[in-house]
Amino acid sequence: MKKKKLRWGMIFVYLFIGIFGIITVFPFIYMILGGLMSYQETTTIPPTLIPKTLRWSNYQKVFEQAPFARYFLNTFITAATTTIVTLFTSILGAFAMTNLKFKGKGFIQLIFLSLLMVPGEAIIFTNYNTIAHLGLLNTYLGLVLPFLTSIFYMYYLQSYFTAISPTIYKAAMIDGASDWEYIWKILVPMSKGGLITVALLSFISGWNSFLWPLLVTNEDKMRLLNNGLAAFASDAGAQTQLQLAAATLTVVPVLIVYFIFRKQIIRGVVRNDLKA
Amino acid sequence: MNEDKFIQVNNLEKTYENGYQAIKSVSFSVKKGDLVCLLGPSGCGKTTTLNMIAGLLNPTGGDIIVNGKSLLNVAPKDRNIGYVFQNYALYPHMTVLQNVMFPMTVGKNKKPKDEAEKIAQKFMKLTHIEELADQKPGNLSGGQQQRVSIARALVQEPQILLMDEPLSNLDARLRLKIREEIRNLVKEVGITTLFVTHDQEEALSIGDKIILFHNGVIQQDDKGQDLYLEPNNQFVANFIGNPVIDNFDVKVTDKKISGTDFEIPVEKLDSTKFRGDLADGDYTLSIRPENLKLSDEGELSEVIDDVELIGRERVLKFTHAGTNQRALIDLEQEIKPGDSVKFKMNLDRVYLFKPDGERIY
Repeated sequence: MKKKKLRWGMIFVYLFIGIFGIITVFPFIYMILGGLMSYQETTTIPPTLIPKTLRWSNYQKVFEQAPFARYFLNTFITAATTTIVTLFTSILGAFAMTNLKFKGKGFIQLIFLSLLMVPGEAIIFTNYNTIAHLGLLNTYLGLVLPFLTSIFYMYYLQSYFTAISPTIYKAAMIDGASDWEYIWKILVPMSKGGLITVALLSFISGWNSFLWPLLVTNEDKMRLLNNGLAAFASDAGAQTQLQLAAATLTVVPVLIVYFIFRKQIIRGVVRNDLKA
Repeated sequence: MNEDKFIQVNNLEKTYENGYQAIKSVSFSVKKGDLVCLLGPSGCGKTTTLNMIAGLLNPTGGDIIVNGKSLLNVAPKDRNIGYVFQNYALYPHMTVLQNVMFPMTVGKNKKPKDEAEKIAQKFMKLTHIEELADQKPGNLSGGQQQRVSIARALVQEPQILLMDEPLSNLDARLRLKIREEIRNLVKEVGITTLFVTHDQEEALSIGDKIILFHNGVIQQDDKGQDLYLEPNNQFVANFIGNPVIDNFDVKVTDKKISGTDFEIPVEKLDSTKFRGDLADGDYTLSIRPENLKLSDEGELSEVIDDVELIGRERVLKFTHAGTNQRALIDLEQEIKPGDSVKFKMNLDRVYLFKPDGERIY
């Protein structure tokens, strides 16, 4: 009797998970399929699910109608730069907050915490003014400058760093290591999971950024993928199939990153690498 | 440089920001090549003292002089010390060999890789961990990890070795073995060592000298046997010795020491052993359990509550004036709980302490 109940429960659970899985994945699959349809197929009611013929030529048209290769390059440069620099600044900041003692540390921590509560959109126009005054509109530097540090990532790393026993830091000091050597020879290798998570999050949010690049760039050659995608609607007319193909193109790199780092992502979430 | 005062700690003080005074004017010196134990209950200031010598904590007063030079303004990494942590503090992402080599790969003492590896091998041999070279610390037992951490501490050939309760995470049998190994090793290397422990047996067995701490003050700085036989004060008498010393509340009046149900004329005590005038008043008379002998002429008549075997001896437990006391007798003397017996005190071996703990006899 009990066993039967349990089985029904499991069936319900799987059904529930299945439905939500489909809801989550469906738009994604439709994007890929739609990118291979003809214009008619994307707009008919009832909608077509499986295209009759796979029109790979859509992708060729995308590259012809907009400088997508340039968008890719721009996006890659900005996402990679913010990721590397953010990692660097966050590591140093988190190390200082974890291991160093200095005057006003508590106060600085308080300011950081309160800044964490200010949404990015709230300061986006002051940032814009600053960048404009510096004459950095339509430059890579202008695109990345406000994102080279992150209090959130710093705090995230800090939680990894504080999990390392303070005696490890003391041992390194006594072994003759400087703070710099401690960071790169001990702290970083011991916090790999956290660093990879920060790198991925930072790269993905850099890749997906929309509002900021929209503000600080207006030249086509400086546009990022998402802005290009938005502009594509008007550039390409209402060619839904091309829009879907272009959208597919923008997510492919992120997918590749996920695929390569899936183990580390899971490890970063589970954080079992800190058991030592 | 004075070999007898290789390490000199002068009026060392540590007061934390919250006003807590962990160390109150501590002074001692250590002879070159000696293994000295800092002993005391938890919170007595022994580890704090060690950390100040290592430079992990800054003293609020006093000075630390090693080999004739003050260490006060020297960063920990430049103090040329080895430190063995209670929890070993090995780097989990490195192999044993990399751990032992680490001090030679950073800072001012960087050495070429071949040379560093050679030195590391030498110390790994000394600590019997050569076969573990490629293992990660996570795969090692506690005893093995401790050996790795000792090898890492010795690899720079520091002028002093500091050990903070290095055996407390090991099981009893291993503790005995490793403590012997540690003593042999530091004597073989000839390094001056400070060893922090709360275990008196450990301190008595390996220390050339013991410095007993309590409440941030040194209670006694002496050889192990002197700590046991000639305690400076009540705290030392109570702390050292297992089973613990018996304490009797007594009153001194008219040249007589009177406790509950017993009386000792003062003239029976050795007059040369008095450390001051024995004024009338309240005192504590203390005697080690082995100095209570079964005898029909004994001063104490007691009923035994419990008998405990410890190896070749028997601990007799009894209650005198509401407090638990112990006597240590040979295994051959068969006494059962409930027996009535008489104990004679060995008066050469009693101590008299004032209420503030100061020893008067």
